[in-house]
Amino acid sequence: MTRTLATLAATVAAAALMVGLAGSVAQAKDFLLGSELPLTGNLARVGQGMHEGIAVAIDMANKAHAGTHSFKVSTIDDETSPAKAVAAVEKLIGEGVVALTGGYGSNIIGPASEAAQKAGVVYITSGGVTPDLTGRGYKTFFRINNTDGYALAMIGLVQQMAAKKVSVVYLNKEATSNLAKQVKETLGAKGVAVTMHEFDGSTSDFKPLVNKVKLQDRPDVIAMVGYENDYVGILRAAKVLKPDVKAMVGVWSLATAQMAKEFPDLMENVHGTSMLPFPVEFTQPEALEFAATYKKLFNKEPDYLGQFGYVQTRLLIDAILRADAAGTLASGGLPDELRKTDAQTLIGRVTFDAKGDNPHFTHRMGQHQGGKVVLVWPKEAANGAMRFPATPW
Amino acid sequence: MIELTLQALFSGLLAGGYYATVAVGLALVFGTMRIINLAHGELVLLSAYIAYAAESRYGLNPVMAIPLALLVVGTVSMIVYALLSRIRQDREINSLILTFGIGIIMTNGILTIWAADIHSTTNPWFQDSLVIADTLFAMNAEIVAFVGGLALMAAVYWWLNHSWQGRAVRALSSNRNAATLMGVNPRQTEILSFLIAALLATFAGVAIYTGKTVFPALGHVLTVKAFIITVLAGMGSIHGVLIGAVMIGIIESLTVTYLSASLQELAGMLLFLVVLFVSPSGLFGGRRALAR
Repeated sequence: MTRTLATLAATVAAAALMVGLAGSVAQAKDFLLGSELPLTGNLARVGQGMHEGIAVAIDMANKAHAGTHSFKVSTIDDETSPAKAVAAVEKLIGEGVVALTGGYGSNIIGPASEAAQKAGVVYITSGGVTPDLTGRGYKTFFRINNTDGYALAMIGLVQQMAAKKVSVVYLNKEATSNLAKQVKETLGAKGVAVTMHEFDGSTSDFKPLVNKVKLQDRPDVIAMVGYENDYVGILRAAKVLKPDVKAMVGVWSLATAQMAKEFPDLMENVHGTSMLPFPVEFTQPEALEFAATYKKLFNKEPDYLGQFGYVQTRLLIDAILRADAAGTLASGGLPDELRKTDAQTLIGRVTFDAKGDNPHFTHRMGQHQGGKVVLVWPKEAANGAMRFPATPW
Repeated sequence: MIELTLQALFSGLLAGGYYATVAVGLALVFGTMRIINLAHGELVLLSAYIAYAAESRYGLNPVMAIPLALLVVGTVSMIVYALLSRIRQDREINSLILTFGIGIIMTNGILTIWAADIHSTTNPWFQDSLVIADTLFAMNAEIVAFVGGLALMAAVYWWLNHSWQGRAVRALSSNRNAATLMGVNPRQTEILSFLIAALLATFAGVAIYTGKTVFPALGHVLTVKAFIITVLAGMGSIHGVLIGAVMIGIIESLTVTYLSASLQELAGMLLFLVVLFVSPSGLFGGRRALAR
């Protein structure tokens, strides 16, 4: 009897173990993500930066879920072309990707995410900040940053400087124009005199424009809204013409390690949005792992593009796992699961509203100081004193 | 207002110098071979990246990189020529397709080797300002590019008009069959034109690297600008290229000053259309532009 009971118990235990093992094997899944990015063309640099962040997120997820789940990303270069971005999204959806992470440039993300929406596939990005993207109310569209966050940072810094007159020099693209107009409206409402100067992406000589600012506007601050080569052109023109301003302020792609390294003389004392100081000071375990993985994969310090690419992909992977565990992934439950996101990330708290926007996104402002980027706004995030008035010349 | 206008004219003149230096190589090759080399901008870009590599890796002054850049750009030009010379029929249209493809390959090659980051010289002397009469401002790089470009164009002009080889180029441009009958070797003459164009592209590339920023997608932009100036000048006209380039530079600069910087490309294109409307073969065009 005792022997029979022992045999029965052993059989039950073995069966339970088998069921358990079988269950865990059944739950192990390979998830294929899609990524459409500009790896060539005008936006190649920013596209490659985001691509690196996505690769880091995939690497870290595979490490964290080793033996249970695996993640892969299929990437297609959209060549900085909206039409090719749509084709890329359609091809990736045809390959059976679970969701899409990537995209750069509001004018490219617009049609690309529309193609994803038509197929009911989630599209998450940090590369397009124009309000129109979330204004469409697509159920499948998500982004972790927006114009408001950049504008708030620029406006906050200008107010900290107590500037009375500001000249905004901005690129005539959708995202840059929207940001410039928001800065003008907000600062104007606070009694700051703002003059606007639009330029085209083909502009390479900014001397006539900066001369106009110097002789006609005579501002306290020149606010630049463009991309790297625009900033270099404006700053070079300003260095030659030496307008009597107290500060040069910009937004993305300016207060970066890359700019400090490539243009040391031009960048000194220039302000730009920056989540982290340079050299990077990571303290949280996740951030440290991110930095170590980035260094391992690309043999360099992470930049803001990699950071954003990583965060959007990490949040997507988390939501995929939650939806999979709830059994809703195959039945289109991923957008709802993403909307439940409430996470502390490398760029701060992220949640998504009904339109897919992150209402908590606020940027910080950094200043180039002696080859470093020092955070100077807001005060609670600052890791050094702002040099003001100070210009590169 | 006078200060603004003078600076706009000065900036336009200097910008025109850049444009002309890029465009004159394209015009020369078109004049001899009836080929629009759509990879010309990429050749200029390649030179700029050689200068970048020489400066960033070996700490060389970008100007000192000209011999190395000339060697590389000249070699690539010869490869382009070798491929073009295999075209037997419909040379003009087939050469457009071929050189456009070569341009794409070169852009992606540059992207693969040097990544997509923007670059420019870190030598502060090129960025230092030169001030004339407390009114006109320019970077040293712009003055060097303008003066150097002008000297090179003058040399090409002299060579075309006063040397035997130059006359052979003009003769070939004027009447290929007659020139061949008179003892001109078309192949040698075409190779020479390509090498001179490579020299001009090399100088233009280093000038752009010292005064502007370079990135892989820039080559196509340069080709388009050079093509517009070449057509505006009159296909194959060397002095027309200089005048056309300066006109475009000045109209763009005045548009930035008095209207909006976002309209400068439009203003340049309007000038281009007006000139073609009044004179369909360009400012100094015609079948024998180089011959003049």
